[in-house]
Amino acid sequence: MPPRLDELTMARRAASELEPGQVVALGSGLPVSVAAVLPPDAAVQLLSDAGALGYGASSDGHSSTGPALASPDGRPVALQRGGAVVGMVDWAAMLRGGHVDVALVQPARVYASGDLLGWTTAATPGLFAPGRTVDLSAGGRKVIAMLPHTGSDGSPNIVADSSPVADGRGCVNVIITDIAVIRVESGALVLSEVAPGWSYDEVAAVTGAPLAQASNLKEIAPNLEALNAERAGKVFSDGPSAIADLHDGATVMIDGFGGPGGMAHYLLVSLRDQGTRGLTIISNTIGIARSVNFGTPPGKLAIDHSILVDNGQVAKAIATYPVSPSMSNPSSFELAYRRGDVELELVPQGTLAERLRAGGAGIYAFYTPTGAGTLIAEGKESRVIDGKEYILEQALTADFCLIRGHKADTMGNVVYKGTSRNFNAVMAPSARITIVEVDEVVEPGELDPELIVTPGMYVDRLVVRPEGFSPYE
Amino acid sequence: MVDEKERLPREVVAMRVAKELPDGGFVNLGIGIPTLVSNFIPDGSVVFYHSESGVLNCGPLAEEDEQDIDLINAGGQFLQMVPGMAFFSTVDGFAMIRGGHVDVTVLGAHQVSATGDLANWMLPERGVGNIGGAMDLAAGAKQVIVAMEHTDRQNNAKIVQDCTYPITGKGCVSLIVTDLAVMQPTPEGLVLKEVAPGWTVEEVQELTAANLIAASDLKEYEL
Repeated sequence: MPPRLDELTMARRAASELEPGQVVALGSGLPVSVAAVLPPDAAVQLLSDAGALGYGASSDGHSSTGPALASPDGRPVALQRGGAVVGMVDWAAMLRGGHVDVALVQPARVYASGDLLGWTTAATPGLFAPGRTVDLSAGGRKVIAMLPHTGSDGSPNIVADSSPVADGRGCVNVIITDIAVIRVESGALVLSEVAPGWSYDEVAAVTGAPLAQASNLKEIAPNLEALNAERAGKVFSDGPSAIADLHDGATVMIDGFGGPGGMAHYLLVSLRDQGTRGLTIISNTIGIARSVNFGTPPGKLAIDHSILVDNGQVAKAIATYPVSPSMSNPSSFELAYRRGDVELELVPQGTLAERLRAGGAGIYAFYTPTGAGTLIAEGKESRVIDGKEYILEQALTADFCLIRGHKADTMGNVVYKGTSRNFNAVMAPSARITIVEVDEVVEPGELDPELIVTPGMYVDRLVVRPEGFSPYE
Repeated sequence: MVDEKERLPREVVAMRVAKELPDGGFVNLGIGIPTLVSNFIPDGSVVFYHSESGVLNCGPLAEEDEQDIDLINAGGQFLQMVPGMAFFSTVDGFAMIRGGHVDVTVLGAHQVSATGDLANWMLPERGVGNIGGAMDLAAGAKQVIVAMEHTDRQNNAKIVQDCTYPITGKGCVSLIVTDLAVMQPTPEGLVLKEVAPGWTVEEVQELTAANLIAASDLKEYEL
């Protein structure tokens, strides 16, 4: 038999599947080597389940940030400029929320259906021991399985009939082994590349499932050149260009807590000037600062959601505090509501926060005790768990999110200021397009990776609030 | 006339509530009389204030020339930056509440029922209201204390057998402190524990639309 590929060549072939700008989660085992073969300035961000986002292999065994950071197999790694330290909940939310472009895993077996069996589950017969393979398999938009083509006894690791136990069902898109690249296409295996010296027949002979042959069967030849491309820029020159594609009828998250702190005023004014109509706004208040000076210094008139309501752009609000606390001083929204011009979905504040978090984290719904037995529970499933009543609340997502940060780096990592973090940080992962208005954009590496609140993977566009721009009228 | 008899000032109600706050506890104060409670923490006792605006360990309000729009409490007031302050997102702020990490919340109310139902988010005649953080606090705080005037401005009872206003939480109130009395909702009914100086049980009952059960150790308002 011809020689098989070594681990690093397999890793280079796996890396060739990656595209510039992608976020790539690595599982333990063979995928860990991918970090070692990437070009130093590769335009991808690696995510380790040990809590590092945007890391590379460490030559001296120490992280560049001081504290120890580990790869998925526990080896020390260095954060790259623009990387961030993330927690376990964040790691899982990134995967479940669909923010990870590619997940690389090493299963014990892959089935023709695209199912996979994790090595920990395979190694403990009778015990389902999925570790993190389940999250990686279910969460990666594309899943690449890396594994030796056969076991130590020569038996195939790629087999036809799936096991009643699996760590992922129908999730594998590409299989990279030490002799072949196989694509899983509608539940069938197609051999697209072979290791040098290997033929289709030789690969098929050690594969335990029917194997089709691609019309253009090639020899494996890793090519990482594409990864040297420049990352797409996130910094926009001004507000109008950053929101130009925000369309009529869009669902838009815009917040702060209620006062002028934490509100993306420049983007709000840009949206008013653009005149986009029929908007559904998800927010805490839907503009009360202007009517009751909430969080507003004396003598100032704050810009808030009211400017969109007054301009007839809002069709519906999903909010927790939609009207003025003072009946004699109604907000623009309350007046529009009384006229029947706008709809309102009223939500408790903590439920709104959790619905947004769930939306960004790929959780469909959750049970909360908040609102049980009240008007909020009407029409919702409720159940008593351990003697306490809970209601089922569903996740919220949006087309666009306009948020207010303090500083960002060009990769989109954001830090906030004081009580202006509030809903901004919660909304950032939950929209299809997230646009952040900041005071300053700095180079990657200038923000402390331990303190980054919103990692750049959640941020699509950045705009600097123009100097001298006032949040007041 | 009971209607015209002098009641306790708001500050005394706040002072009475302050006695209930555990030393070293995490406390969330609503708007109105609850806000005043922070002025009456007993000497030698420490309380950490939580605010839904995303801050823990709120200190005093800021002077007018030091107001920072990035430093507010949930009532929209400006805070001073104090050592030990922590900022967090709204998800964390409400996980603290729902997860049972906030020891006490003190809230105002439109109505409270004999069994501790709380109504404080909507006046039916307005047809629309603000929930804000109230439902989460009602459902999540370990202890919910209501601090309010015993009746509304027209002398209508705010303490009722069953709430007629939309409720914020069911059976969540553990103590009601008003300008006339201290009461404890129980499954059996509303227990009257303390009355304001100069007031009789009968006079308090006259202004209360729920049946009061006098506690065996009924006392005068104790500060």
